[in-house]
Amino acid sequence: MSKEELFAKIKDAVIEMDDETVESLCNEAIAENFDATEVIREGLIKGMDRVGELYATGEYFLPEVLTASFALNAGVDILKPYMKKEVSTKPVKIVIGVVEGDTHDIGKNLVKIMCESAGFEVIDLGRDVPINEFVDVAEKENADFILMSTLMTTTMPGMKAVVDELTARGIRDKYKVMIGGGPISQKFCDEIGADAYTVDAASCVKKIKEIVGI
Amino acid sequence: MPLIHDLTTGKKFAAEHGVTLLKALLAEDIYVDNACNGRGTCGKCKVYIEGVGEVLSCEYKVNSDITVKTGKKPNNDMNILSKVYVSDFIGEYRKGYGIICDIGTTTVAVGLVNLATGEIMVDAAAMNAQRVFGQDVLTRITYEIENGEEGIKLLQNTVMDCIRECVKKCCTDAGIDEEEIVEYVIAANCTMTHMALGVDARSIGVAPYKPVFTEGQERKARSLGLPGAQEASVYFIPQVSGYIGGDIVAGAYCCEMADKKGISLFIDIGTNGEIVLSNKGSMVSCSCAAGPALEGMNIECGMPALAGAIEEVCADEGDIKTKAIGNTDAVGICGSGILDTLSVLIKEEIIKKTGAFKKPEECGLYEKRVIKDDSGVRLMLTDKVYMSQKDVRQVQLAKGAILSGIRALLNREGVKPADIDEVLIAGQFGAHLREEALIVTGIIPAECAGKIRYVGNTSKTGAYMALMSEVVRSNMELLAKKISYFELAEVENYEMLLVSSMSFKG
Repeated sequence: MSKEELFAKIKDAVIEMDDETVESLCNEAIAENFDATEVIREGLIKGMDRVGELYATGEYFLPEVLTASFALNAGVDILKPYMKKEVSTKPVKIVIGVVEGDTHDIGKNLVKIMCESAGFEVIDLGRDVPINEFVDVAEKENADFILMSTLMTTTMPGMKAVVDELTARGIRDKYKVMIGGGPISQKFCDEIGADAYTVDAASCVKKIKEIVGI
Repeated sequence: MPLIHDLTTGKKFAAEHGVTLLKALLAEDIYVDNACNGRGTCGKCKVYIEGVGEVLSCEYKVNSDITVKTGKKPNNDMNILSKVYVSDFIGEYRKGYGIICDIGTTTVAVGLVNLATGEIMVDAAAMNAQRVFGQDVLTRITYEIENGEEGIKLLQNTVMDCIRECVKKCCTDAGIDEEEIVEYVIAANCTMTHMALGVDARSIGVAPYKPVFTEGQERKARSLGLPGAQEASVYFIPQVSGYIGGDIVAGAYCCEMADKKGISLFIDIGTNGEIVLSNKGSMVSCSCAAGPALEGMNIECGMPALAGAIEEVCADEGDIKTKAIGNTDAVGICGSGILDTLSVLIKEEIIKKTGAFKKPEECGLYEKRVIKDDSGVRLMLTDKVYMSQKDVRQVQLAKGAILSGIRALLNREGVKPADIDEVLIAGQFGAHLREEALIVTGIIPAECAGKIRYVGNTSKTGAYMALMSEVVRSNMELLAKKISYFELAEVENYEMLLVSSMSFKG
């Protein structure tokens, strides 16, 4: 099988959420001495990109995205030991969490999965995250993005508090702040001075790529 | 100042420059559906402006004179469930009259009881007027967060006005004097109980969702501004937790959940689905965030159960039949119609088990009904009313939330769906759901077919029993303590449980 054929098959297997096929194809790629990083980029991630598109049109839903991400991770686990240490570009670094007072984290987890699949480095603060923790961790980790979500209207003010805290510390421009969740809207995003609102996980990844220019 | 002329109400008034149209209209007491309280997310506050077209009134700023056409205020002809079923129950008969009341987030139902005979003489019901502060409890709690003590007071007055109106109507209908009322019993969810008492509900809206109190509350009617005899009292049924309220305790009591010999499920389906599982009398409960999809919200053609809403859908051999409330032309679809449509989509194999629409050409006899274009794919029920792929996803979230709640309770008790002896469905919404739709859509496990029973407004029934008996009251206090509660979000691997509860296994 040619490299292109194999990559296309890996991509399809991720779209089909077939972790066993992904595993055997990735093992085949290693046996053929293909570059592991390229297999991830041209096979696994391309597949997950398509999953994101299918999610955006409603053809795929949470269960499919989650299962596809398991298939992707099964492939990454096989390929990782063979990846050459890249010294080149620093990956996009993201701090993500559900704001203080809210414990609903499924939407956040979906965004995390899609971001990781896109090759971004994600630091997950979990749920019910205090205002300062977003800022402290972003500073410590030298992150590029702060991503916040909430499902409840009651906890929306926490997002503004994070933006205000960044401003108060004089570091607002160091980070792009993105928000999402059921009750969030572009209007709210504008009101609190966040950088972007996206309606779902797939468009969140798209927006990040757009902002960093990749 | 710019002038606004509303053709619907005929009102002409000045508004402050730059204020949102929504604010200006609400200040004049003109009805606007305002489910998300001005956040620009629900899309329900549309108002027609001459020369401009339809706008979201929460986003439109008034800068010049305008002529508008607001929507009609829904009258209270919504079929509010207020019937009470009580079997061979003997109360403590005494002089005077009592009021029973169920405060729901959406509706308020009141009954006037002759305490000497135990007879419920008349009923009255109204929409909960707090709706202008948001459709669900969280949006209303947010109103308290944003407006503090003043907001708490306003929310209390608003719901008390509703109760006062209903009480007044009951007394007029029964031909009695308001002074003859000696006692009230009120059952409500935890947030509504707090708000009716004027108690800060804000802590219920943020993790760990702790209410200020859970015990039953007793007040003087006069202190709450409710009519009645000088010493008339008001009793509020106790709560289990922030999201398992007095309405559920009342329901669990009148369904005798503590005395079950087998395994029983009690479910109140709404924006929050509350579930109590009794395993031979040992009770555990949880609350699931089903969202408002089953009530027609966030559904493209969705609407409340008012005239023109499709409430029944059936299909056979490529033919789809719909029935709209009031036998008028269909303009939208309400909760029961949404579930029926989903059943059709599943049974006629128009969607796959994952919930994804098949291609129109794969839909056989329904090919012409399935439209796929740039705005996505949808099933046309009539020329205008449809259900889209996005709608199916919204309902799937609700279905997944409720089923995952049931499964989490079963897992906790180590029992299987097949072990369930009965499923008791309570509440306003459940009245309109058919067992078949609940089973086909998989909201209730398939193993429960034939075991589902609709038990009516058990919140109000429980209030009646508590009004008629002091013993019942103390038993309810015990019951509220006996029902344990856990947060679904804390369940290990909840995400996988939810996701696996979303598919239509068929």
